[in-house]
Amino acid sequence: MNWTRTVRAELRKLTSTKMPLAFLIVLVVIGVATAIAVAAGTDMDGSKAFISTAADQQSLIAFASNALVIAGLFGAIAVAREYGHGTVVLTFLATPRRLKAILAQLAAAFVAGSVLGLVGAAISAGSVATGLTATDYGFMVSAADLSQVLAASTLAGAAGAVLGAGIGALIRNTGGAVTGTFLLLVILPPLAVQMVSEAFSWMPGTLATVVSGVSNEVGIGAAIAAIAMWAVVPAAVGLAAVTRRDVV
Amino acid sequence: MKQLLDQEARSLARSYPISIEHVTKDYGGTAAVADLSFVVKPGRVTGFLGPNGAGKSTTMKILLGLASPTAGRATIGGLTYHQLADPTATVGASVESDAFHPGRSGRNHLRILADATGTPLERVDEVLELVELSHAANRHAGKYSLGMKQRLGLAAALLCDPPVLVLDEPGNGLDPQGIRTLRNLLRSRAADGNTVFVSSHLLGEVEQLADDVVVVNQGRLVTQGSLDELRQSASLVRTTSAQALLVTLEAAGGVVENRRPDTLIVRGLSLDEIGERAFSAGISLHELSRHNDSLEDRFFAWTGDTDGGTQANAKDES
Repeated sequence: MNWTRTVRAELRKLTSTKMPLAFLIVLVVIGVATAIAVAAGTDMDGSKAFISTAADQQSLIAFASNALVIAGLFGAIAVAREYGHGTVVLTFLATPRRLKAILAQLAAAFVAGSVLGLVGAAISAGSVATGLTATDYGFMVSAADLSQVLAASTLAGAAGAVLGAGIGALIRNTGGAVTGTFLLLVILPPLAVQMVSEAFSWMPGTLATVVSGVSNEVGIGAAIAAIAMWAVVPAAVGLAAVTRRDVV
Repeated sequence: MKQLLDQEARSLARSYPISIEHVTKDYGGTAAVADLSFVVKPGRVTGFLGPNGAGKSTTMKILLGLASPTAGRATIGGLTYHQLADPTATVGASVESDAFHPGRSGRNHLRILADATGTPLERVDEVLELVELSHAANRHAGKYSLGMKQRLGLAAALLCDPPVLVLDEPGNGLDPQGIRTLRNLLRSRAADGNTVFVSSHLLGEVEQLADDVVVVNQGRLVTQGSLDELRQSASLVRTTSAQALLVTLEAAGGVVENRRPDTLIVRGLSLDEIGERAFSAGISLHELSRHNDSLEDRFFAWTGDTDGGTQANAKDES
């Protein structure tokens, strides 16, 4: 059994249904909404202060938080539906070593999540740039900062997809996996911060803004490591569960 | 001659008997399979027969490494599925009739398997042609009929041209033409020395497909053997003292069924033994002969389902 062909099979699974198109449509819709907000939106005082500086524009473009959630849902659906549709049987027949089969799924989710994150950030940057043409402001984000935003979104997308894939493997039900991922990335972090305010710096959304260069709650290296941990822990739990369970 | 020897050598090289050795599978204290042992020989089509819930699918999943046994082991050519060097090149399996993503085409479903197994993509079109599904290859599998799904499952099992086929209820949903194609295909593979193991609760299907049968009920082995032998293992006795003879033969260890007031079907005793017991008891016999049961009659006798409820159930579900 060859590792490359196992991952190739997993990538073909992800690209041979309409799911990527559906997620691309979501990214475009977010992009259109962003462009409209930039072109027509104002601050409370009626000004356009929210787009008046390079830092403001970089904050608008920063897509890493969204990439985490969107790619998380993508990973959760991609893996959980394998169990729902029973196609996991074929996966485990072709690759009986479960560890290898799931690692290949995680690798494919990593790649797909990276692409989703990158495309999302690119659409976001394009949307902001397009919206700005209808205002008095130009596009002020430097190439270096734009690169950081794109890289951060790519990383966040990859991490989110791996996290979602881990939850999908653990829960094995698409609805449950989507709910679990949404809870973990969106609902639970603010609740955790309510209980322990110091936790704010280590929540996925905060870490995403740090790697995007629009906040400095923690060091960028620590933020990257923490985002990786947010992905690796659910993935490891899912992997451990799959290697022990029967396929029924 | 050389060609024949080559063919034999190829058959031997591809000889993979399936062995189920004292396999037990408990689910929360309930035994789905209990100390089950049997062997499936290469070169034969073996039907795996039993009512719904008898443990057939569980046994197949254990054989394919999809479930782990509580005790015992299941091997293919002496190795467990996990131990096979190239499992998909050795075993082709179809254990779920609807294990497809409904939004994925049949061709892409097979291409994924081809990618995973390192099979050339051209082979996908070959097996689609073989199972007569080429016309619907680009259609979403969710729009397939049950019979088409069965064909796709069979195509997946045949993709790597393996010497062992393990198919769970492959005839479900197939039309008569499909059943005939399936039968010819499986028979031809068995004739080439391959191992073909097919589960079913459709008795007529097994009767048409199988050379050997393994019958299970409630997770336990009921009987195993060649279909012809099993059919002929009963004796028919006609006598005016059927009730007295029934008691005598049961006391001697026979399994006796009183079909009509003057007719008994006896299993577990030879013709000679039956004759001698009747003679000793002073019972005159009007007929004593071998009896060829229908598989349906045998099945109900094996599973103890005398009212045919299982068969009716099986037909309903199919």
